[in-house]
Amino acid sequence: MSKAGSSASETEVTWEDQQNINKFGRLNNRLHEVEDEIKIAKETNESLEDAGNELILTDEDIVRFQIGEVFAHVPKEEVESRIEEMTEKTSKNLVKLEEEKESIVAQMAALKKILYGKFKDSINLEED
Amino acid sequence: MSTSASLTERRGIPAASFVEDVQTYLSQLNLDVNSALAFLQERLQQYRVVEMKLLAQQRDLQAKIPDIEKCLDVVATLQSKKGTGEELIADFEVSEGIYSRACIEEAESVCLWLGANVMLDYSCEEATVLLEKNLENAKASLEVLMADLQFLRDQVTITQVTVARVYNWDVHQRRLRQAVATPSES
Repeated sequence: MSKAGSSASETEVTWEDQQNINKFGRLNNRLHEVEDEIKIAKETNESLEDAGNELILTDEDIVRFQIGEVFAHVPKEEVESRIEEMTEKTSKNLVKLEEEKESIVAQMAALKKILYGKFKDSINLEED
Repeated sequence: MSTSASLTERRGIPAASFVEDVQTYLSQLNLDVNSALAFLQERLQQYRVVEMKLLAQQRDLQAKIPDIEKCLDVVATLQSKKGTGEELIADFEVSEGIYSRACIEEAESVCLWLGANVMLDYSCEEATVLLEKNLENAKASLEVLMADLQFLRDQVTITQVTVARVYNWDVHQRRLRQAVATPSES
């Protein structure tokens, strides 16, 4: 994302403007990080769902469940409750991340308004 | 908003000084425009080098944390089997693609790899305490690192804006000089 000035501008940049620009940059970075984390959380949820479905279909009583680097032999019910626990944790995390993303997008929109208001064409706050 | 104008550096990273007025800035540094731009570009390069280093450290820490959590999981599982007299049967990888079965009875202690070719025996409780402390330290280090990266990125932004302003100021001065040199006809 570029924040270069154009060649005809005479608008002075105050310390407050600089702090706004810095904050915008920080928010933009965090936004990308959160979007990546959301993608991973969604994929994890899908995997857990697939695992849950496989579990229902299987007729074995003992399932090999990965703990650390090994596959422990765990009774089916325990695996079910473990998967449920993991799914709940991931879903909660996903909700938290989506909320954070919304907040960041709102803050960035507000900053855009302020900065475009002062600098108009001299500043570019879009993704290239 | 933080008044980081008072910070001259953070953990070895020099802060970029905010320029109130380009003219004053140039005369204070006693540099012409091109030298000032060269100096600022060099600063940007230095910042990039530090950024690469910090990003690498961040990646390492972000990989370490899930590893420690997995270890805690294993120790917790072994501990939960202890009183029951049940044995834990686990399939583990002997070599790539080859697995074997292990039967773990009454895990009195676990061995923890401490690094530097050192592995120590711990009781399950001690192992849990140690691993949790490591996890806490790793998370704290990661937080400090992220703050460092934020500070660094702010300095990069300030420097980039300064470059743009110095350049624009120069263009503006040239235009003024041209206007004086070729007076318009009245």
